[in-house]
Amino acid sequence: MKGKNGVKSFLVIAIIIGLTFLAIYGLNIPGINYRIPSAKESRTGIDIRGGVRATLSAPVGVVPTDKEMETVRTIIEKRLDNKNIFDRTVILEKLNGRIIIEIPWKQGETDFNPQKSIDELGETTLLTFQEVDDTKLDANGKYLPTGKIIIQGLDVVDAVPELDNNTSQMDVSLKLSSEAGKKFEEATGRLIGKPIAIFMDDQLISAPVVNSQIPAGNGARITLGNRNMEESAKEAKELASTIRSGALPFKLEAREINSVSPLLGENALNVIVRAGGIALILVWIFMFIYYRLPGVFANVALLGHTVIQLVVISWLGITLTLPGIAGIILTIGMGVDANVIIFERIKEEIKNGKTLRSAIDVGFKRAFSAIFDANMTTLISAIVLYIFGTGPIQSFAITLGLGVVLSFITAITASRIMLKSVSGINIAKHHWLYGA
Amino acid sequence: MVHRREKTMFDFIGKKYYFFVLSALIIIAGITAYLINGGFNLDIQFQGGTVIEIQVNDNKTDIKKAEEFITSVINKKVTVQNSTILNTTEVGKDINLLIINIASKDTLTGEEQNKVIEVLKKELKLIDSPQMTVRNIHPSIGKELLNKGLNAVVWASILIVIYIWIRFNVMSGLSAGIMAIIALLHDVLIMFSVYTIFNIPLNESFIAAILTIIGYSMNDTIIIYDRIRENSNQLRRIPVAELVNKSVSQTLARSINTVVTVLICLITVYIYASYNNISSIKEFSLPLIVGISSGCYSSIFIAGPLWVMWKERELKRKLGKRPLKA
Repeated sequence: MKGKNGVKSFLVIAIIIGLTFLAIYGLNIPGINYRIPSAKESRTGIDIRGGVRATLSAPVGVVPTDKEMETVRTIIEKRLDNKNIFDRTVILEKLNGRIIIEIPWKQGETDFNPQKSIDELGETTLLTFQEVDDTKLDANGKYLPTGKIIIQGLDVVDAVPELDNNTSQMDVSLKLSSEAGKKFEEATGRLIGKPIAIFMDDQLISAPVVNSQIPAGNGARITLGNRNMEESAKEAKELASTIRSGALPFKLEAREINSVSPLLGENALNVIVRAGGIALILVWIFMFIYYRLPGVFANVALLGHTVIQLVVISWLGITLTLPGIAGIILTIGMGVDANVIIFERIKEEIKNGKTLRSAIDVGFKRAFSAIFDANMTTLISAIVLYIFGTGPIQSFAITLGLGVVLSFITAITASRIMLKSVSGINIAKHHWLYGA
Repeated sequence: MVHRREKTMFDFIGKKYYFFVLSALIIIAGITAYLINGGFNLDIQFQGGTVIEIQVNDNKTDIKKAEEFITSVINKKVTVQNSTILNTTEVGKDINLLIINIASKDTLTGEEQNKVIEVLKKELKLIDSPQMTVRNIHPSIGKELLNKGLNAVVWASILIVIYIWIRFNVMSGLSAGIMAIIALLHDVLIMFSVYTIFNIPLNESFIAAILTIIGYSMNDTIIIYDRIRENSNQLRRIPVAELVNKSVSQTLARSINTVVTVLICLITVYIYASYNNISSIKEFSLPLIVGISSGCYSSIFIAGPLWVMWKERELKRKLGKRPLKA
């Protein structure tokens, strides 16, 4: 029995050391090209890496339908794609007609103006196909909008660049809704040889000339003129994407904007990480001075639960915010709770004249229900907080909940195994070592 | 050995009124402050508004002038403050920030916000892309967040009360459960009171702290009642007051030590954040420090003594009834 526990003990310590290395360095699994990320590689929130978190909402009085909200999402995603922003989060809150967007700061980006990018995202930019008048031109000879709208951006079901086999050039192929198709048929019949201009708000995007009437049901095709292949391909792609990302059904207003410059976020991260390290060391010292030998085990278990937490967070890609990290540090303090309950119990049992071995057994047994209850109530709070909280606070709810569960598990497994393994060793039987 | 402790045992029950009065004083001060201030001080997160922190060249910006510049372009009332934070990435190069506050009803539009930044860049001769943080919250969102937060507090309380109810029914009876809930209410009231007395703005971090406290502080109380139950099985014939005194004393080291370790963590974080002027972390750790301390206090000095009072009244009622039955 003694030997068995000793082996288990070493195993526990080895696992914890292994996890600590994993949390610090991460691990490349050879052969399958897979990496377990280190704690440093954890996904961090806007408040740490810098960036913007914005809540966009329909104007007061507008109650968008679910379908409209889906359209909004698609359009916003497309607009973000067009800006080459891929590492973003878009959350739809259909219930209150909102969309939450998180755009992290990009490495090397110097002109950091989150407000501007958010404002641009929320623009309606009404896309229209209009009849134009050759006499209404601006100073540069470009067509001005006439207000004679044939179809709108919402009428365009799809727009894709497509290769024209005859000219071997890229065109833009349009698919219209059936009703718009009829309008388009009428207009193209009337306007053969004349241009139909595409406007984004008041800005001219393109003004293709109508070659022939386009019957409803067939797709329209915009030819971009005689240029080389590469140029036409690029232009077709841009035009198609502009038409696609066309019009929002209503203007989105930014109701909430939180933006942080990367340096300020990094600064805050450094501060809280250093504080966390110091806190861990102080708790270690306290536990060692007060509980001596069991304190050492509690400290090993504490390290264990902290590194498991870090590994789980980085591995699952849970977003860490400043409150989230505060949650980890908080659970460092709370984590020893279970151990303290058990050790106090063991101390008492020793004082009541029990042998060390039975004191440990009774201590764990009697303390279990109290520890369980104590952790359950905190877990309930964490879950409620996750449901009601916004992004940064949700991160706290996760680390708090995770920390509570992990500390419970490590206390009743790791600490117990280690304590039991030494209870058979003579020199470790001295009651002084247990603070009793 | 066993009896040594009891001689030095502190009389928690006998001195209960001191503890009740201390808590009552804090809560009364809180209510008074609430009445004087005309309500809670809400952070812009809960009532809307704009805060811009922008990097400036030094910490000697003329506040009056900066306010004038801003008002000249947006025509809204602003307050401006200087602030300095330590730079952790480049030692010795502190970052000076100008903190611009715009009152709740005047949330800035994106355009106005850009105007403010532009005018400051021009007039204060700032570097091209200054570091900044912006928090801009529309009053409607703030109100909604506040409601959500209060809902969270209510739901968490209900769920925890149900949990305690179930557990205490088995454990120590309903009376203990009710006392535990009073202790919980006490902690929430103390937290609100401290915040109102010092006029610290309430925000989502505060709500998160309240939820954490009502979850965590229940621990101490549960453990003390658990011990009372255990002792009452062994020592059937001792008075309630002594039983509780004994139980509280026996669990005292545990109650205090667990709080000490949590406070070590929180206070370390708070000191670091204060020293470096990281307000978001400060705002997060402070309410937790208040709540954890209050939670420990209430489970030792409030929950136990209250239960004794309840039990003694119950006993008196029973004794009073006995002659009638006879």
